[in-house]
Amino acid sequence: MRRLSRRTRLALVIANLAAIGFLIGPLVPVVVGSLQSERTMQRDVFALLPREVTLENFRLILSGGRDKGPIFDQVTYLPASVGRFPSAFRNSTVVALAVTGLALAIASLSAYAIVRLPTRLTRTLFTGSVVARMVPLVVLIVPMYVLFRRYELLNTLTGVVCAEVGFLVPYAVLILAPYFAALPAELEEAARIDGCTRVGAFWRIVLPLSTPGLAACAVVLFIISWHELLIPLVLASRPEVTTLPVILSGLVSDYFVFFTLMMAICLLGMIPTVVLVLLLQRFVVRGLVAGAVKG
Amino acid sequence: MRREISAPRLALLLNGPALLCLALVLAYPVLYAGFLSFHEVSIRQLRTGELPFAGLANYARLLHDGVFWLALGHSAIFVAASVVLEVVLGLAVALVIDEERVAISRVTRFLLLVPWAVPPIVNGLLWSFIFNAQFGYLNRVLHTVGLISAPVNWLGDGRTALAAVIVAYVWRTTPFNILLYHAALQGIPRELHEAAEVDGASAWRRWWAITLPLLRPVIAVSLILRTTFAFMVFDEILAITQGGPGNDTWVAAWYTYRMAFQPPFDVGLGAASAYVLALIVGMAALLYVRLVYRRVEY
Repeated sequence: MRRLSRRTRLALVIANLAAIGFLIGPLVPVVVGSLQSERTMQRDVFALLPREVTLENFRLILSGGRDKGPIFDQVTYLPASVGRFPSAFRNSTVVALAVTGLALAIASLSAYAIVRLPTRLTRTLFTGSVVARMVPLVVLIVPMYVLFRRYELLNTLTGVVCAEVGFLVPYAVLILAPYFAALPAELEEAARIDGCTRVGAFWRIVLPLSTPGLAACAVVLFIISWHELLIPLVLASRPEVTTLPVILSGLVSDYFVFFTLMMAICLLGMIPTVVLVLLLQRFVVRGLVAGAVKG
Repeated sequence: MRREISAPRLALLLNGPALLCLALVLAYPVLYAGFLSFHEVSIRQLRTGELPFAGLANYARLLHDGVFWLALGHSAIFVAASVVLEVVLGLAVALVIDEERVAISRVTRFLLLVPWAVPPIVNGLLWSFIFNAQFGYLNRVLHTVGLISAPVNWLGDGRTALAAVIVAYVWRTTPFNILLYHAALQGIPRELHEAAEVDGASAWRRWWAITLPLLRPVIAVSLILRTTFAFMVFDEILAITQGGPGNDTWVAAWYTYRMAFQPPFDVGLGAASAYVLALIVGMAALLYVRLVYRRVEY
């Protein structure tokens, strides 16, 4: 292949820099905002960078509002979201892990059956999964609220997990089916000739071989669950069971919370999924592509 | 060989949990939403547990509510603008990172999914800070480069507020499109381009005659997916404008949420509007099934 001309190369470097600016530029205000005090930010409303940098916002949030430090010492009002941050972070972790584990287990069984044991039922189920993936959540949340209220599942983490698992299983099936289909069927047949049952072959051959696919699916599920706002907002609003996106949404109507503190909470809330994506990028990419276009 | 259960029975067994999920968390609520939309349901009825039949009253009220039509109109603008931006920006960035001989493109590819990884509610809050009139970063940047002399109240005007929400949403969702296009571009054999180059085709001509036609299927997929998701935007609206100023950024999902879960807590009306939305999205979903999964046979 021909070498790139100097002009083309320069143009591409500039285009790449622009793309990088697009991808991470909007995060700069979050970082800069979270590293200053309210007073520093108010002093000059047109300054791009703060005169003084401080970690006090993070100290306050991570201690759940107990460790006030010099800046917040005189402050009488702290938003409830600050005090609830540690427990909401725990709740979010528990919910995301449970949802990932359950949805992965249910969907892998289903995807395997769809790929290897095609019957009319599995074909219908696959089409059902494709359609179900596109059912708008806002359509489901209204009846779910009424049903959860009746069966006393409101304000429980179990309820949130159930709702999210049900919502995510179809998507997980779409991600996993192509992985199972790509495995050579001969491997299973060989195992079965050697005396393995079908279930045994699935457990000993198929699952270990599809670890990359399972990992891809798991990361995507974890991230979507970590991001979910509407389900916990409507189904579990009590402080003890609230998740991170819900306490973040609580900052919206709070006119007394200042942007510096808000950006610090935002930064802490997005670190887990951003780090996950950067570390496991290969898996996430494959999972997302498999779940959207491949059959 | 040991006796085994037959394949169809095993298929049913393995699909049991998934079927249960589909039935309990998807099919039943969808049907139940239909039931609710024909009944009078608000706080009092939820407390007593008796839901009086209301016939088509909820739908009649919905179709006579000017705010509902306003919200649908805003949704139409939101969907059209965001989908066009997502496709154009997505294609542009995908083409830029496809040239791997430029070293810096590795950095771009590494950072590609960062906006997608930002929780939607955080995305909303961070853009509400950027667009804030008093302390926001957009005003700071524009003032520093000399484009404005006094702060602009971006979220105080209906049109700029809707544009602000679109920008915020598009920033978070474009990476998904970049990813799909990038994967599709990698599937195009280099020889096609090289052959065309030998024949003297310009870069522009090769893009029109080779790349774009081969990307058409994946662009169609992204169009449908992004349309349905844009229709459901909620988190960014909640965080940036809460539907304001006035009713200027009420969109479809926001209408349903506000009616059902905030005063007037009219769950019946919410269910009716949810059903109308489902109908609209359902048509897009049908198109998606036929287009993408039609030829898939397992």
